Amino acid sequence: MLRYVIRRCIGVIPTMFVLMTITFFMMRLSPGGPFSTNRKASAEIIANLNRHFHLDEPLWQQYLRYLWGVLQFDFGPSYKMRDYSVADLLIQGFPTSLKLGLAAILISTLVGVTLGTLAALRRNSWIDYGASTVGLVGIAVPNFVLGPLWQLLFGVMWGLLPVAGWGQSWTQMILPVVSLALPNIAYIVRLTRGSMIESIRSNHVRTARAKGLGERLAIWRHALIGGLLPVVAYLGPATAGIITGSIVVEKIFSVPGIGRYFVEAALNRDYTVVMGVTLLYGFLIILCNLFSDIVYGVLDPKVRYE
Amino acid sequence: MKMTRRTLLAYSAITPLALMSIRVGGARAEGMVLHRGNGAAPQTLDPHLNFGARDAYIQDDLYDGLVGYGQDGQIVGSAAGSWDISDDGRVYTFHLRENLKWTDGTPIVAQDFVNGLIRTLDPATASDKAYYFSSTIQVTNAGAFTNGEITDPALVGFAAPDDRTVVMTLDNPAPHAIWILTSFQSSPLHKPSFEQYGTEFVQAGKLVGNGPYTLTELVPQSHLVLKKNPHYWDAANVKIDEVWYHVTEDMSAATKRYLAGELDVTVDAIPDEVEKLIAAGSIAADEYHVAPNIDGYYYSFNITKKPFDDVRVRQALSMTIDREVLQEKILKSGYPPAYSMVPPGVDPAYPGAAVKEKGMSHDDRVAAAQKLMAEAGYGPDSPLKAVLLATNDNDEKKKATAVAIMWKKALGVEIDLQFQEYQAWLDGFYAGTWDIFGDTIVADFAGAESYLSYMKPSAEAGYNWKNDKYEELMNQAAATPDVTARNTLLAEAEQILLDDYLIAPISGGATRQLVKPYVKGWIDNVIQFHASRFLWVEKA
Repeated sequence: MLRYVIRRCIGVIPTMFVLMTITFFMMRLSPGGPFSTNRKASAEIIANLNRHFHLDEPLWQQYLRYLWGVLQFDFGPSYKMRDYSVADLLIQGFPTSLKLGLAAILISTLVGVTLGTLAALRRNSWIDYGASTVGLVGIAVPNFVLGPLWQLLFGVMWGLLPVAGWGQSWTQMILPVVSLALPNIAYIVRLTRGSMIESIRSNHVRTARAKGLGERLAIWRHALIGGLLPVVAYLGPATAGIITGSIVVEKIFSVPGIGRYFVEAALNRDYTVVMGVTLLYGFLIILCNLFSDIVYGVLDPKVRYE
Repeated sequence: MKMTRRTLLAYSAITPLALMSIRVGGARAEGMVLHRGNGAAPQTLDPHLNFGARDAYIQDDLYDGLVGYGQDGQIVGSAAGSWDISDDGRVYTFHLRENLKWTDGTPIVAQDFVNGLIRTLDPATASDKAYYFSSTIQVTNAGAFTNGEITDPALVGFAAPDDRTVVMTLDNPAPHAIWILTSFQSSPLHKPSFEQYGTEFVQAGKLVGNGPYTLTELVPQSHLVLKKNPHYWDAANVKIDEVWYHVTEDMSAATKRYLAGELDVTVDAIPDEVEKLIAAGSIAADEYHVAPNIDGYYYSFNITKKPFDDVRVRQALSMTIDREVLQEKILKSGYPPAYSMVPPGVDPAYPGAAVKEKGMSHDDRVAAAQKLMAEAGYGPDSPLKAVLLATNDNDEKKKATAVAIMWKKALGVEIDLQFQEYQAWLDGFYAGTWDIFGDTIVADFAGAESYLSYMKPSAEAGYNWKNDKYEELMNQAAATPDVTARNTLLAEAEQILLDDYLIAPISGGATRQLVKPYVKGWIDNVIQFHASRFLWVEKA
C-alpha cells in the first residue's frame, strides 16, 4: 500500500508538468490579451504594460520564466488585480472555498447517504419517492435558479437569513452551503440507492443474514460498505471540484472564494491567474483521487494495491 | 429500523433547516454607516493605476485630488482650494489649502501631487491612465516621458514651485483640463509608504491616503470598510462615519440585498426587475435613480468593404434604426436615444450636431432609406448581406437582434449576427472581420471633445476613416482656448462625422441605481460620482 502511494505521488510531477504546459500554450491561442481592453491607451502604454509583465518576450522564454517561477513556488503577478500576486489571491480565497466546500461535501454525504440508504431499504415507499424527488430537483434545477430562490424566500420575504455577504456572521454561510450541497446530495442519493439495492441482494449480505445476523447489523456492517463504493469513487473528484469553489454560488452570495477566477481570469486573459487556479485544481483532483482510491482499497476487499 | 430513523433525525438537526430560526447576526458599528454595493471587486486601489469607474468611486473616498467632483458632479476645489488659468489657457496654477494632512497626520506638500502625477506617467508604473496627460490633454513632455524618450521628470510640465503650489503646463490650451485632475487622475503619492512597501502600499493597514475616509478593512472579493479620516480638511462636514463597499457581482442578488436592507445603495439595477418591484410596491418609484451618463453606443461601418464605402448604404441603415422604440420598448434601458456621436445631455454648453434623419417621421425615414438603397443597387430582389459583430453581453445581443429585424423589415437587409466575448470582439475590430461593429465609448470627461478626438483619423486607425476637414477642425479646436469658440468648431467637426455616416448613433448611456430614501444628499449626475462625504443617512 505504501509503495503504491509513493508511486502515485511521484506520478504527480509529470502530470502537473503536462497540465501546466498544455494550459500555458492553449491559453495563448485565444484572441486578445490582458491589456487590450482600453482602446484609447496608446501603443506605447500597451508596450509599457507588456514589458512590465514580460509579455514582450518570445513565448518559449515566457514559458521558461514561468516554469522557473513555479519551481520556486512563485506563480507570478495578476495582470488584472494589480495589487495582488496569484499566490496572494489563492491564499486569500482558497480557505473560504475550502471551508464552504468541506461543509457542503460533509452535508451532502451525510444527507445523501442517509436518504439513499433509506430509499433502497424502503423501495416504493414515500421515503423512496421523496428521496427521488430531491434527487431529481437537485440535479435538474441549477444553482443559478435555486440560489436566488433561497435568497428571495429566506432573505427577503421571511428575513431569516442574510441574502449574501461573507465574514460578518456565520449565518451567511448557510445559503451558499445548501446551494453547493444540493446537487451533490442529489447525485449521492441516486448512487447510494442504486448500489445499495444491488448490495442488499448480493451473496455476502444474504450469507450474513443466513448466519443469523440481525437486519441492522447486516445492513450497517455488510451491505452499506459495498453500497458506498460508488459514492467513494464519486466523492474524490467531486470534493476537488467543490472545494475550489463555484463561480455561480460565489457571485450570487458574494462569497470571496476562488471559483470566480476559473471563469473571470480566462475571460480577462489574466494568464497567470488561469495558470494558478488550473494547477491548484489539477493538484487537488490528483490528491482527492488518490485519497478516494485508498479508501476504496480499505473498503473493498477485492481491490489490492501492490 | 428505529436506529436509522433516529439517525435521520440526528442528521436533520445539523442540516440547515434547523438553523433557520436563528436571526441574522453580525456586528454593526456605532455611528452613521452607509452600505454601498459596488459591483465586481476592485481590481486595484492603487490610485495611479486603477482604470475602472467603480474602483474610482472607492478611490474618491480614500484620496483627494487637486480638484474633485462635487455633490452634483460638477468640478469643485478639493486639495486645491483655488486655481488660476493663464490667458493662453496653457498654464494652470493650483493653490493648495492650508494644513493639508495625510491620514497618518503628516503634512502634505505640493510635491506629493507632482510625484503622484509623475508616477502615473512613469513607464515603470505601466499605468493605463498615462494617456490622460499625453493625449486627452497634452501636458508638456508627458508623452515623451511615458514613451521613455526622456527620463528626467523635471522636464515634464508638472512642477511644485513651493509647498502649496502645483503648476501644470500644457502644449495646447484645454478648457477640459480641469476635468482631468480629480482624485482619479491626480491623487498624491505618499512616498514614505510607497518606498517601504512598493506596490503593496495600498493594502489595508499600509495605505496612507488624504481623502475623507481611510481604509480599515479589506477582504478581497467580499468587502472594504472605510472609516472617517479626522485629518481631512473638510472633516467637519463629513457626516457618515463608516462606509462599506460590498462586492456585488450579481445584479439580481444585489437587488435582493437592497430589499433585505443589507445595502443602502446599489451600483446598478436590472430595469425589468425593478419595474416589477415597483409595480408590486416592494420599492418606491423614487428609489430607482436613472441618470444619463457619459457612455455612448453606436454602430460603426467598415468603409473599407463594399458596399459600406457607399455613404448611401450607411445612411439608409442609420435612418431605419428606430432609436426610440429600441430603448423605450425593447431594451427598456433608460438610455437616451442618440442622433449624434456626443450623447445628449453630456454637456449643456455644447451646441451639438445631428444625423440628417433627426426630426423626420419614421415613415419618411424608411421611404428615404429605401430610395437610397435602391440607388445603391439594393432592393427586395438583391438584398444587402452584412456581418454585424457585437459582444455577447445580453443587452448588446438584444439590441443587435432588434436592429437587424428593423433593417430586415425596412430594407430587406440580411444580417449575419456574430456575438463574441469581449476580448475576441475587440480583436475583431482591428482584424476588420465585420461590416458593422457594435461599438461603444466611455468618455474621459463630460465634454464633446472626449468623443470627437477619439474619432480623429490620426487617433484611431481602426476605422480607416480619412477626412482632412475633420482633422483640421479638430486641430483648430484644440488650439482654441475660448470654450464657446472651441465648442462651435467641435460641433462643426461632429456634423462632418455624422454627414459621412461613419457611424450610426444609437444611444447614450445611463446609470441605474437603487438608493434608499433615507440616504440624503444624493444628486443624480452625468459623471456618476456620489462621494460618500456628500451623503448622510436619516433613518426615522
